[in-house]
Amino acid sequence: MTIAFFILFSWAMIKAKSQRQVIALSLGGAVAVMVVAPPSVHAQSLWAEIQAVLDAITGIIQTGLDSINTARTAISNSYQNVIWPTQLINQATAQVTQMIAQYQNPMRGILSTNLASATLPPVQQLESVMRNHQIGDFNTLVTNYANAYGPVPSATAASPADRAMTDMDDALTLDNLKTLKATDDTADLTLQAADQLESGASQSAPGSAPFLTATAVVASIQSQAVTQKMLAAELRQEATRLAHDNALRKQGATHTGEFGNQIINLLKRN
Amino acid sequence: MKQILTKSLDKFKSGLRWAWGHKLRVAVLGMVLAVVAPRPVKSQIIDPCCAILSFGLGTISGTLNRVIGGGLNNISSIDQGIQNFEQTTVWPQSLITQAQTLVGNIQGISTQIQSVIHTSVASATLPAPQQLEQNLLSADSSQISQTGAAYTAVYGSVPDATAAPSDVRNRIDMTDAAAQAAMKRAIEIDQLADLEIQAANQINQSIQSAAPGSAPIIEAQADAWLVRANAYTQAATADLMRVRAIDLANAGADVKTGATNTSNLGQQLMNILKRQ
Repeated sequence: MTIAFFILFSWAMIKAKSQRQVIALSLGGAVAVMVVAPPSVHAQSLWAEIQAVLDAITGIIQTGLDSINTARTAISNSYQNVIWPTQLINQATAQVTQMIAQYQNPMRGILSTNLASATLPPVQQLESVMRNHQIGDFNTLVTNYANAYGPVPSATAASPADRAMTDMDDALTLDNLKTLKATDDTADLTLQAADQLESGASQSAPGSAPFLTATAVVASIQSQAVTQKMLAAELRQEATRLAHDNALRKQGATHTGEFGNQIINLLKRN
Repeated sequence: MKQILTKSLDKFKSGLRWAWGHKLRVAVLGMVLAVVAPRPVKSQIIDPCCAILSFGLGTISGTLNRVIGGGLNNISSIDQGIQNFEQTTVWPQSLITQAQTLVGNIQGISTQIQSVIHTSVASATLPAPQQLEQNLLSADSSQISQTGAAYTAVYGSVPDATAAPSDVRNRIDMTDAAAQAAMKRAIEIDQLADLEIQAANQINQSIQSAAPGSAPIIEAQADAWLVRANAYTQAATADLMRVRAIDLANAGADVKTGATNTSNLGQQLMNILKRQ
């Protein structure tokens, strides 16, 4: 830019034909130099630039860093004093430990109180096997049940309908007694899981507790499923009792009809 | 060559003559050249600008160290404090691992429960009751269609219109219906309970491989299953209530029938006595 200007200016100066043109070119060139020529750097303006950078550092940047610092300090304080105060975390785990000591053993003791009440030997045996929380002795249960309640009548001692009905009654009773032995066992296992979860909670941290709560919910689903199995068994039992009563009603209706016919026949003969 | 040198010398001489003759123009050109020509770099020792620049850069460096370095150090210190707090108090790796191990132990207990609850309890001895019992304990809703026939084989069917009065037939039919519906519901509930236990095992396995941040999502799913399980329990309880309601209705109907029969018997006895 500067070289082009100088060449152009020199050419015009050489070609100028009069003193007047030389003076006009000189004035024009002076104005152009003032406009085009780069300003010289002065010490004063350099210091001003440096001062501007320093002002930016100590002004906007320092203010920004101070703000971040304040915010991070507030977050840290919030974490330690409001969201996860160590004192309250320790207090919570200590409470769990204290409640384990206060409730776990006494409640276990209450539930394991012996409820056996039978007085006669065959019934005592049945009661004992009914309440032993074991699933490996179903054959003993069947034997003890038959000793207490008797077997299904033989084919010569009862009608097929009565035999089928008594067999079904016995079967549903035994089914439910077996189911209860199984659910007693699962209740023990569920209590074991609850004890372990509570013990785990006493040693947990806010970040590890979600694992325990999630597992506790899963254990609740399983417990609910077992309750449903028990309800299903009770439904079968109630339905069978209803069916039994209804079968007797059917027999009664049939017998009443036959009895009426027989009376009518007797009266006709007389 | 000599010719070129001679020509160049002549041109230089004529240029000098022109310059001598145009002193003003040469002076103006010289001044313009002096103004617009690029300047040489100034020496650090003798130029005051370099000293100022050096002092300024030193001050900037000091300020950067003090303001930005100090500020960043403070932030770093706070962040390290937060990191330590999170690692030792909020999410300690050892306690997370311990919790995951505990989840594994609970999974073991769940497997035991699943095994116990599926122990066979079948007890019937005669063919017809065996068939009905097998159907009732099947936990397979596709077998519900066979419940009616197995039930009738054990408990009989509704008496003919000639064998019993219509009110008795209605009562018998309603009672059979309630009993069969309850049995069918029991089959459904057994199957649903099995599926719930299966889902619970799946969820428990996913908890073992979860992170503290993803465990609450799995817990939310487990909560949803628990809500669903409660609904199934309510459905079973509803059928239990229906069975008991029908039982109560039968007890009431028996009293009503007894009263009517007694009244009819009294009337008939009166008629017989009148004839005599």
